Amino acid sequence: MNLKIVVFLVIVFSSNLMNSQTCCSGGIPLSNNIGLAILDKGTTQIGISYDYNNLNTLNNKTEKLDDNSRLRITHSVLANMSYSISDRFSIEGLFTWVNQRRKITQFGNENLEETSGIGDGLLLFKYGFPNLIGESTSLNVGIGTKIPFGSSTKKNIQGITLNADLQPGSNAWDIIYWLSISKSFNFRPSLNILSRFVHKRTGTNNSYFGDSTYKFGNEVQFFLGFSDQFLLLNTITTPSISFKYRSVTQDKVGGFNLENTGGNWVFIIPNLSININQNLVFSTKAELPIYSNVDGTQLTPTYRLTTGILFTIVPKREVLILN
Amino acid sequence: MKKKLFYLSIITLFLVACSGNNNDTFTSTDSDETNSGNNGDNSSNNNTQDWLIPVSEVKDGGPGKDGIPSIDSPNFIDANDSRADFLNDDDLVIGVVKGNIVRAYPHLILDWHEIVNDNLNEDFISINYCPLTGTSFGWRSVANGEKSTFGVSGLLYSTNLILYDRNTDSYWSQLELKCVNGNLIGDEPILESVIETNWGTWKTLYPNTKVLSLETGFSRNYSNYPYGDYKTNHDFFIFSASPSNAALPSKERVHAIIGDNISKVYQFKNFTTGKVIKEFFNGIEYLVVGNENLIYSFKLNESHSNLVFEYDFNNSEVFFKDNEGNKWSVFGKAIQGPRVGQQLIVSKSVVSYWFAVAAFYPNPEIYTE
Repeated sequence: MNLKIVVFLVIVFSSNLMNSQTCCSGGIPLSNNIGLAILDKGTTQIGISYDYNNLNTLNNKTEKLDDNSRLRITHSVLANMSYSISDRFSIEGLFTWVNQRRKITQFGNENLEETSGIGDGLLLFKYGFPNLIGESTSLNVGIGTKIPFGSSTKKNIQGITLNADLQPGSNAWDIIYWLSISKSFNFRPSLNILSRFVHKRTGTNNSYFGDSTYKFGNEVQFFLGFSDQFLLLNTITTPSISFKYRSVTQDKVGGFNLENTGGNWVFIIPNLSININQNLVFSTKAELPIYSNVDGTQLTPTYRLTTGILFTIVPKREVLILN
Repeated sequence: MKKKLFYLSIITLFLVACSGNNNDTFTSTDSDETNSGNNGDNSSNNNTQDWLIPVSEVKDGGPGKDGIPSIDSPNFIDANDSRADFLNDDDLVIGVVKGNIVRAYPHLILDWHEIVNDNLNEDFISINYCPLTGTSFGWRSVANGEKSTFGVSGLLYSTNLILYDRNTDSYWSQLELKCVNGNLIGDEPILESVIETNWGTWKTLYPNTKVLSLETGFSRNYSNYPYGDYKTNHDFFIFSASPSNAALPSKERVHAIIGDNISKVYQFKNFTTGKVIKEFFNGIEYLVVGNENLIYSFKLNESHSNLVFEYDFNNSEVFFKDNEGNKWSVFGKAIQGPRVGQQLIVSKSVVSYWFAVAAFYPNPEIYTE
C-alpha cells in the first residue's frame, strides 16, 4: 500500500479517535477510542491520548436547569496499540488510566471526591473489506470485549466505598460490536467521508457494594464525519468535522432500572490532525453537545477535550532484485 | 517546522493533561482499594475513622455531599393559594404545628432536597426525610449546643439518610437517631413532633396551614419522582438494608414506636375506620390513635393512664376524645374539656417502610388485633 495512503488513512481514522463512550456520561472513554485503521500486514500503530471530560450541566430531559453546583470531571490517559496480522485483519488493544472527580459547590463549600487508577481495557478484532461496497470505499467490522482491569471498589479516605460512577473500573465484561465505512472521491481524493457504528452490550458487576449487582446501560454510538487534507506551512493538515449520536439505556441495579441514568445525545466534534512526519500524527479535538435528552434529571456532558499522538511503525519491506 | 510541531504537540498534551488539576487541592493516597481524595471546606475535616455503625454498611449514594441540597430559605404559601395546586389530596406531607404556626412539607419537594432547615417563629427545626426508607423526623436545629443547620452528607447507612451538621461536620444517622461519626459522636438529636399524612387529611385537620412552596431557590422539576417505582416495588432496592425481614411487604408503610433497640409497628390497614389502642410495649404504656391516613402515638403517664380514649375525627382539629369529655388534637394536645392545654407525651416514633424499621430495629413486634 502506498505510504501516502497509509498516512492518509491514519489521519482519517485518528481524527475520529477519542470520543467518549462511558458507562454513564462521566466515565472512561473506551469504545470511542477504538478503531484504528487496518493497515498493511505487520504494521503497528501506537497511540497515546489524553481526554478531559467536563460535566457541569444539569438537565431535566432536554431542559437545562439553572444549577451548576455539581461538577463531574474525568481525566483519562489512553494508550492503544494495533497490529495488522494480515492486510485485512488486525487486533487492537486499549489500556487506560483514569482520574474521576466529583465536586459539589454548594452553600459556600466545596466537596470533592475522587478516585484514580488503572481503568478498564478493551480488546478488538477487526477485519477489513476494501472496495466491497464500491470504489474507494472501505468497510471494516470488528468485535471485541471490554476487560475489567479497573478497580470497582475504591474507597474514600473514610473507608467508604464509592458509587459505581466514580470507580475506575466496572467489574463487568462488555461485548463491543464495531463497524466503520469510509469513502473517498476521485474528484478530490483527500476528501473523505467516514461513518462509524459502535454498539456496546454491557455485562453486570455481580458484587456491587458486596451484595448487589450493577449493570451500566447498553449503548449505541453512530458517527458521521467529513475530513479533508490541506498543505499548511509545508505540513499535511487534516481538519475534520464529525457528528455523533449516542444513545444509552438506563442502568440497572439489582436487576431494576435506575432512574436518572441513560439518555440520548448529539455532539459536534471539530478535529484537527497534523502530520508531524510520515509516521507520527498529532490530533486534537473538542466534543460539544448540541442536543441532550437525558432520562429524568442528571448531569450531562458540557464539553470534552481530547488530544493525542499516533505513531505508525511500518515493517521494512523485502526488496526483490530481478536481473 | 515539523520538528517544532512535534514538540508543540508534546507540550500541548502535557499542558492539557496538567490543566485538570487547577483548583482542586486534595491529597490522594493510592493503594489497591483505598484511593481517593475527599476534600472541601467541610470535609477536610473533623470526621475521624471512628463510627458507631459498621463503616462497611455506609454507602456513597452518588450525588455527593450537598449534591442533594437542603432548603435553607423555605417559602410558604397558603393551602388555598392556587400555587399549592401542585399537590393532590393523596400526596404525602410532613406536618408541623408550633404555636399558631402550621406548616406542611410535601414529599414531592422533599424527594429532591431531603432536608428543610426552617425557622418557625424562632423555633429552628430541621425537617428531614429519607426517600429510600420513607422516614421523616423533625430535629431541633442544634449541634454541639448551638444553632446549626443540617445538610445531606450523600452517604447512606442501610439505605437510610445520613445527615451532617454544619457546626461540626459530624455525621448523623437519621433512623438510628444518633450522631455516628465526628466530634459529636454518640449525641442524639432533639426530636420535634411531626406527623406524616396526606395533604387532604392535613388540610382538613389544619385548614389554616401553609405549605412549602415550589419556589425553593433550586431549579428542579418537582413533578418528577426521581426513584421510578421504588415506592411500590417491594423487590426494588437501590442500596441494601440488613437484616431483612419478610414478615411484611418491604415497602409497606407502618407506624413504628421505637424503643431502645426494639420497635413495635402498626399497619394502616388496622386503622381503616379510625381506632384507638392502649397497650404496653417495652414496659411502657402507649396510646396509638389513627385512621387509614394517619397514625400517631403517645406515652401515657399516670395522669393519663386511666383515661378511656376514643377515636373522634370529624373533619376538624379534634382527632380523639376521652371519657372525661376532653377533646384531643392529633398531636396529643387537649383542646377542649377539663384538661384543655394538657399535652400527652409524644412517643419516639416514625412512619417508615417496613424493611427499614426491620433493619434498624431487628425483629419488630407487629401489632395484631
